[in-house]
Amino acid sequence: MATPYGIKLAVHLITNHFGNLVAKVCENLLRRGPLTLQQVIRYTELTPQQVKNSLLILIQHNCIQAFSFESQGGFGDGPKANTQYLALFGNILHRMRFPKFLEIVSRELDQECKELLEGLLQNGRLTLVQMVERAKSKRKDGCREDVVQEGLTKLLAAHFVERCPAPEPLVPEPVKVETTSKKRGAKSAKINEESETIEQRVLAAAGPMEAQRFSMITNTEFDVNGETSTDDSPSLIVGEKRKRDSLELDRESTAEEGEVVLWRANFEEFLRRLRHMACIENVRASLDDGAVKVLKAKLDATRGLEKKVKTEKSVPLSLDNIFEEVIKSEEGRVMTLDDVRASLVQLGCPASARGTADSYSIDLKKIIESAQNDEVESIVLKRYGRDAYRIFRLLSKNGRLVETDKISDTTFVEKKDAPKILYKMWKDEYLHMEKLVLAPNRNILLWKVNKRPLWEHVLDEMFHAALNLSLRAAYEWDKEKEVINPLEAMTKEERQKQKNIRILLDSSLLKLDDAIMLFHNF
Amino acid sequence: MSAGMNRSQGLSSLKRKQPDSKSPIESLTEHERILYNLIRSKQDMAIWTRDMKRETNIPDNVLNKSLKSLQAKKLIKEVVTIQNKGRKHYIATEFEPSKEITGGAWYVEGSLDTEFINFLKKHCVKIIYEQKIVTLEEILDTIRRSRAFNVEFTTQQIEEIVNALVLDNEILEVKSTGMGEFNSIPIGKVCYRCASKAGLKAEPKIGAMASIPCGVCPQISLCTPDGIISPTTCVYYTKWLDF
Ligand code: SF4
Repeated sequence: MATPYGIKLAVHLITNHFGNLVAKVCENLLRRGPLTLQQVIRYTELTPQQVKNSLLILIQHNCIQAFSFESQGGFGDGPKANTQYLALFGNILHRMRFPKFLEIVSRELDQECKELLEGLLQNGRLTLVQMVERAKSKRKDGCREDVVQEGLTKLLAAHFVERCPAPEPLVPEPVKVETTSKKRGAKSAKINEESETIEQRVLAAAGPMEAQRFSMITNTEFDVNGETSTDDSPSLIVGEKRKRDSLELDRESTAEEGEVVLWRANFEEFLRRLRHMACIENVRASLDDGAVKVLKAKLDATRGLEKKVKTEKSVPLSLDNIFEEVIKSEEGRVMTLDDVRASLVQLGCPASARGTADSYSIDLKKIIESAQNDEVESIVLKRYGRDAYRIFRLLSKNGRLVETDKISDTTFVEKKDAPKILYKMWKDEYLHMEKLVLAPNRNILLWKVNKRPLWEHVLDEMFHAALNLSLRAAYEWDKEKEVINPLEAMTKEERQKQKNIRILLDSSLLKLDDAIMLFHNF
Repeated sequence: MSAGMNRSQGLSSLKRKQPDSKSPIESLTEHERILYNLIRSKQDMAIWTRDMKRETNIPDNVLNKSLKSLQAKKLIKEVVTIQNKGRKHYIATEFEPSKEITGGAWYVEGSLDTEFINFLKKHCVKIIYEQKIVTLEEILDTIRRSRAFNVEFTTQQIEEIVNALVLDNEILEVKSTGMGEFNSIPIGKVCYRCASKAGLKAEPKIGAMASIPCGVCPQISLCTPDGIISPTTCVYYTKWLDF
């Protein structure tokens, strides 16, 4: 969901990190969708060289992905001219989450790994050789190659790092749905496209095969692997074949340049961890420690099996296995099988499952939704007050249209006040309103919380707020520098105050970003 | 003591009174009779003076005089309506105004009896926090036994209060699982528990957005990076950062 302020925030981040030229290119891609080199040059009015350099920087930092459509009409030659560039909105926003990613790695792995990841985050993509060089230059005592290799192996095993996607995959042209009715043809084709966005299709085509993604294979091993896949070729289905083709492209370049496997941070895994952490925190706020331990153990055990970040239900696990996981940790060891079972019931698993072999799966989507509700409700409470809070919760739970009178009765809000409160929230797009005409001059108003558009609206406001926080932080920075340079220096207290301001702004931004992820990524 | 506590009026709606045996109806003037019949015909819904005029075509001064006389004879009374407090409404004395007019049990004189409601709400919260998990019937029972109120509540009234508390997020509505703390409650029965796990009353958690100025800003739709309202010139920020 690249909302208007989402795009502004993304452009702001790119401007801060790479300057105005790159940001201009990026903004055009974000606003207009995939473009060819020529189109970017035309829209940005920059020189071809400037545009090329900007695109290269953005590719290096995983902010855009190049691709071309498989042309079906036989215009086989000159694929380069058709190369399109697609801005990856999500990846751009991840740039403000780098500190969170680093923290996860330093908590779960070691300093070595953290430094390697830092290098990848700063440089976007690196080869093993480059990683070794970087490590050597960073440490005076020198760093051995095998240490770097070992670190990378650990990062790969934890899925924190992955192989870079193919530089320019071929994507099949969007399939136009053939309908007998001509008028609706265009519309249903659009719907069909929406069901799988261009971004999803490009990323699916670009991604390395699952087996390759996290494996560190030297060139010779790579060949062996290539042979086995040739053996398998008769049974390959189309999708896999396409991936194999792009790998072959990779291999060609491999032959040219030798060691060129490029590595990068695997944002998906970090997001999965952050999502699990958000689930755990949310459960901690409402349920007891037992439920928290069980949820944590269960997520730890099945994390590697989740197919996508937005997994709705945790991967099923039997009570025996869950128990085994729970007692692995010291704090979990105090729990009995019955405790675990009771905690699962608290977590919303049906109590009927009695056997220890029955598998349990926890509704993560529900946990996330409840966290989203909490966030929005707390905005309503602060912005419109306690009466509005009650009204909003009524409508949000109810999900249907409710008339003004009924609302004021159920929420104990004075009849004359209720319409005013409702109107205010409606004006700010927090509520949906419908008028029901009963008689020429007698109509009643019906109100409703329309979650989907509201969530999008709230997300846009959050992007806006994040942009504002960031701009204010930059402004405070400037203020500090201006005052420090001239003759009149700041007093010690003033400096401390200025420092506190920046700490508050930075930490608020990280916290707000948690909420943004809650609505955007989870 | 709360003003609402010693009040019983309104809690039983639509109560019919026996009209006086020696009825003053015979002594009514022509206009008074027409008006009285009209007002009576509206039963517990009452009628607005402007509507009386429209329906009877009696001139203002006569109408006002007749209403005064009917009131003096205790045949009609004025009622306050919650919808339009400024509009004079009358009802025949033999009727109690309907729920639509009075607003029902929680209204006095056309206004929500907030003091009374809040007192009752607090009382319910106390009961729930003391007993951890309770059903509606148990709450009602505890209130009856406590004798803190000299009015009788119906189950529906307590349910309304408890539902409002759920909306306040002070208590949670849960279904009994029949296990553990729900031991004594049949499976599937709706019950209520405190919202925070420690059993301490907690304010709803303030979210990330609600704790920064822009999250609660009334001007956010007008605020742009280089506009008149902007994050660098923003007064809300200046206030927030002034610690
Ligand atoms: S910067 Fe100030 S004016 Fe703008 S949205 Fe935030 S609080 Fe409101």
